[in-house]
Amino acid sequence: MTATYEELLATAEARTALNNHVKTQLVESLGLEIRPELIGDDQPLFGRGLELDSLDTLEIVVMVEEQLDVTISDDDRSAFGSINRLIDFVVADRGEIPQVEAA
Amino acid sequence: MTTSAPTTPLSFDANAIRALLPHRWPMLLVDRAYDVIPGKSGYGIKNVTISEPYFAGHYPDQSIMPGVLIVEAMAQLTAVVYASAWLAEAGQSGKAGQSGETGQSGEAEVAARVGYLGAIRQMKFSRLVVPGDRLTMKVELGRPFDRLTPVTVQASVDGELAAKGSLTVSERTAGDPSGLQ
Repeated sequence: MTATYEELLATAEARTALNNHVKTQLVESLGLEIRPELIGDDQPLFGRGLELDSLDTLEIVVMVEEQLDVTISDDDRSAFGSINRLIDFVVADRGEIPQVEAA
Repeated sequence: MTTSAPTTPLSFDANAIRALLPHRWPMLLVDRAYDVIPGKSGYGIKNVTISEPYFAGHYPDQSIMPGVLIVEAMAQLTAVVYASAWLAEAGQSGKAGQSGETGQSGEAEVAARVGYLGAIRQMKFSRLVVPGDRLTMKVELGRPFDRLTPVTVQASVDGELAAKGSLTVSERTAGDPSGLQ
């Protein structure tokens, strides 16, 4: 079964909206001094990327659990690679792209 | 931190708390803990007296318990809640701590594992705490991640909310003195 152009477009839009939503939440809950739109989808979250640390990780875990109803456990550490990795994990866990309000 | 702990709530008097926590006077700020569900939640009491050392300077003409010490008291109650889970895990009876005699080595190990305050994620103070007040605290642990545990805490005096917020606490492990990175 191949998706129609409209379906693909809708999926892409939902995904972009979700990515932007999470970036905004990240900036708010971590108090980052950066505009959400300047965070790259594949930019590393730790180290030289956004320079997050283990305390920030917990903040993201709590945020994802509260906002997107997805539980990240110790074994799912690869989800913290980048925004895309994080969202991939959320989408895989939910089996769909969660609808969010446009940022 | 898994919880194969008993489901009946536990109580800890000052002696049992001293066995679980490394803190001592003047920084041991929990007098009693009750309704403790190891690893999950618990209540605690801190009786505030005019003899507290910090009232000498906070302030000379008006005694007010410093907000950060209210936070510290709630963090210590949090430590009682998770340390009691370790004690249960260590194969001790959860009530061993009450006698203060049995399970000494297990308790020493538990006290050594008590970590640090990782973050004061959010906190609001809504009432002054003064000599004569009985601070009743409640803590609820969230799901731990990577040796860090989010906790929602609150403290009240006579049913009136004094402080409310959320903390992050860490677990200390051998070779990693801070538990943080």
